[in-house]
Amino acid sequence: MKYFLKLGFVLLLITVIASGILAFVNDLTKDRISENKEVAQKEARAKLFLQPVSFEENIINLPAKEQEINPLKKFEEPDSLEFVYYVGYNESGELDGYDESDELVGYCFMDSLYGYSSEVKTMVAVGLDFNVLKIDVIDQLETPGLGAKADTPDFEERFIGKNLSQMKVKKDGGKIKAITGATITSRTVTQSIAEGLKKLKKALGREAE
Amino acid sequence: MNLRKEFTKGFVKENPVFIMALGLCPTLAVTSSVENAIGMGLAATFVLTCSNMIISLIKNLIPDKIRIPCFIIVIASFVTIVDLSMNAYKPEIHKSLGLFIPLIVVNCIILGRAEAFASKNKLLPSLLDGLGMGLGFTLALVLIGSIREILGAGLWLGMKVMPDAYIDSPMLVAILAPGAFIIMGLLMGLIKLVNKGK
Repeated sequence: MKYFLKLGFVLLLITVIASGILAFVNDLTKDRISENKEVAQKEARAKLFLQPVSFEENIINLPAKEQEINPLKKFEEPDSLEFVYYVGYNESGELDGYDESDELVGYCFMDSLYGYSSEVKTMVAVGLDFNVLKIDVIDQLETPGLGAKADTPDFEERFIGKNLSQMKVKKDGGKIKAITGATITSRTVTQSIAEGLKKLKKALGREAE
Repeated sequence: MNLRKEFTKGFVKENPVFIMALGLCPTLAVTSSVENAIGMGLAATFVLTCSNMIISLIKNLIPDKIRIPCFIIVIASFVTIVDLSMNAYKPEIHKSLGLFIPLIVVNCIILGRAEAFASKNKLLPSLLDGLGMGLGFTLALVLIGSIREILGAGLWLGMKVMPDAYIDSPMLVAILAPGAFIIMGLLMGLIKLVNKGK
């Protein structure tokens, strides 16, 4: 009896020490990790436009039923979901940031959907006509060598100039060529861009276009 | 004890993938390109060396009956620490290796070496064993990865090695999952054959 208590105690001790160390490391690193993510997103946004652009952040609440909800996460259906989009202005003025002389050049948003094995996050820039200017897959953990190719410029270029009605993979009757061996990932990226475009149009009150 | 032998045995004689058939899951999963193979191999080598060291240090404190859960806790904590600190301080390396780090926890080479070697040996041999086994694992991954990438994409480490006509329509099966099984099986058989001839 005493022996078994000792076993439990040793295991408890080791787990407590390990989780203590992990909690400490997590505390030490979590600020830097979220900071890194923010910097990466800022850089990703800036790279999407040809000219230097300053962004104005807009947050809008859309009713939840407009959103494609991940079937794996059905239990947490909220009434409304936040949609963040950025309005891009040409930096012509003297001042840093937005001023009156700046010209509206387009919109930028980020959307994500669950792909084959991970959440795929895509940053999208669209012009005033809602045609895609450029996209950047910024976060994914898809299969290396197959789905992970969504991250390459070769795939990202396939979206340039496409509009909402073309935003489907060729198999589903759209204009986007899927990655060989990774149709699910290609479909995910395409779908998340289409969803995001719909949300953006709704947020701007221009659904008819 | 021959320290040099502890280090070099992982390369061919006791190669974790081809001879011991350990860690096959990551071997099959990440060898679709040489770059991924090197990334996974080096990340696993690092964790294997460190976990071997820690386990050989605490081996006398752990009762025999619960050694496996204890090893798993040590390995998993270690992997998480590497993951978090790499994410915070070297985000560019984390971006290319980050994919493989969580996979290391379930890599049975690490638990296998902890159980078979580090829990019975002193610090220095355990360190060398971990390093050698890790490099042997890397070697095996790079070998499989090279064959798969050359056949399946016509590239090696992203460089063109086959004529353009081949790259346009490569032997795609090599880069897909069945190709991994076929190529690994053939290599394993080949190595068995060579060893038998000796």
